[in-house]
Amino acid sequence: MVENRKNSVEFSDETIRRFLLGRLNASEQPVFEQQLFSDSRLEARVRLAELDLADDYAYGRITADERILFAEKFLVSADRRRVVEVSIALRDRFRSVGNTKPTFIAGVRSLLLLNRPAWRYTFALLIFLLLVGSAWVVVKKEGRIKEEIAKRLGRRRPATATVPVETNHPTNNSLPEHQTSPSPMPVHDQTSAPSASAIIALTSADSPNAGNIPSVKIAQHDTVRLQLVLQPYQPGTYRAELLTIDGQSVFSAEAIKAPEGGTTQIDFDVPARLLKTGGYQVRVSRDHAGVKQNAGRYYFRVL
Amino acid sequence: MPSARTVHILQQDEFDRVLKWLDPDSEQAGLTYEKIRWRLVAILAARGCSCPEELADETIDRVARRVIDIQDSYVGDKATYFLGVLNNVHHEYLKRPMMPRPPEPDDDVEAKERVHICLEKCLNKLSTNSRRMIEQYYAEDKRAKIDLRKRIAAELGIGLSTLRLRALRIREKLQTCIEQCLVSEARP
Repeated sequence: MVENRKNSVEFSDETIRRFLLGRLNASEQPVFEQQLFSDSRLEARVRLAELDLADDYAYGRITADERILFAEKFLVSADRRRVVEVSIALRDRFRSVGNTKPTFIAGVRSLLLLNRPAWRYTFALLIFLLLVGSAWVVVKKEGRIKEEIAKRLGRRRPATATVPVETNHPTNNSLPEHQTSPSPMPVHDQTSAPSASAIIALTSADSPNAGNIPSVKIAQHDTVRLQLVLQPYQPGTYRAELLTIDGQSVFSAEAIKAPEGGTTQIDFDVPARLLKTGGYQVRVSRDHAGVKQNAGRYYFRVL
Repeated sequence: MPSARTVHILQQDEFDRVLKWLDPDSEQAGLTYEKIRWRLVAILAARGCSCPEELADETIDRVARRVIDIQDSYVGDKATYFLGVLNNVHHEYLKRPMMPRPPEPDDDVEAKERVHICLEKCLNKLSTNSRRMIEQYYAEDKRAKIDLRKRIAAELGIGLSTLRLRALRIREKLQTCIEQCLVSEARP
C-alpha cells in the first residue's frame, strides 16, 4: 500500500469516535474514508479508538444516544463483538480490584504511606536533626551532665541494713569475708520488697552473756542466715538446732556440710516467721562415724 | 448476501491471484489483505450497513475477479481500488430491499467463561509493568475515570494521552492474544 501523507488531515480523537459511531457528516465521511485507506497511522488510531469505545460501552461511560448508535453502527461485526466481550471481561476482572474514588480515609491512608519518598526524606532529616541536637547538648552541658550522673550514682549506693551485726567477740579475726565487702543491695530493695535473708555471724559461747549477745532485726526478711563459725574447724556433716533461750526447740537442720576450705563456718538458714522477739540459742553437733559430737553453742537476740 | 441475486463463490485461484497482486510476498500479502478487509468493514459499519463483513467480502470477491484484467495496467494505490469497488457494492446494497437485522447472538455463558479463562492466561503473559498498568487502568468506575487516569499518569510521569495510548496498546495485545487463545481452545 502506498502511504500518501502530503495531503492528509489530522483527525482528532473525537472525530475518530464520531466515525465509529457513524456520526460524520456527508462532507467529512469521504475524506475520512480516503485517508483511512492511505494512512496507516490513522488506521492504527482507529483500531485503538475501537477498543476505547468498547471499553467505555462496557463500563457504561457512554450516553444513551451513543449507546443506540453503538448498537446500530458499531456492534455489527463479529470482530467488534469479540472486542466488547473482552472489554466486559476486563471490567468484571478488574472493577472490584480498584477503589477508584478515593474516600477521605483512603486519602489520609495514602498520605500516611510510609514508603512514600517524602516520608523517607522527612524521617532521615528528623534523625539527622536529633543526632545533631544530642551532640550539641552533650558538648554544651557536659559538666552538668557529669555532675548529675555522679549525684544519681551516689544516691544509689547507701549502706544496706543486711550487713551482719556484731559478733560475740568483735576482736575475732576470723570474720566471714562478706563482712568486709560493701553490700551490693540498693536502698530501694529494702523499702519496696523484703530481701531474701538477714545474715548474722555467730561465734560459739559457753553461756548467754546479755551484754555481748548479737541482735538482729528480721521484720523485712524471709529468712535469717546464721553463719556459725566453727571452733575448732573440722570438716564434716553437722546438725544445727534452734531453740529458745529457755530450751524450747524451734527449728533444726540436718546434714549441713562444712566447706572443705576457705571459710570455717556453716550456714544455718532459719525461716524468719519462726522467730519472735527474744533470745535464742543454736546447738550444733558434728556427726562423726555415726556418733554425735557437740560442736558448740551460739546465742543471739531478735529485736 | 441473502438476496435473490446470484452469489459468486470465490475460487481459490482467484483468491491467490488477488493476494499475489497485493504483494508478491505471500506473508506480506496476507497482512495487507487483512488490513484492507478491516478498513472495508469499518467504513461499511460507519455507513450504517447491518452486515458489513458480508459486503466487505463481496467487495474483495469482485476485485479478485477483476484482477486478471487490471493487474498489468493498474497504476496507483491498490488498496484505494478496493475503496472504489466498495462504493459500487454499497450503492447496490442501498438499492436492495432492507433486510431485518440478524438477531443478536444469545448470551452464551460458556463463551463468556472461555473469554475469562483466556483473559487470565493472556494477563499472565504480560510483563509486570504492563500488567500493573492494565490493572490500574481498568480498575475504575465510570465516574472516576478522569481522576484515576490523572493519578496514574502523574505516578508514571506521563501525560493523559500517552497513558491512554500505552494502555490501549497493551489492550490491543490482550485482544490479539485472547482471540488466538479462543481459536486454540475451540480446536478439538
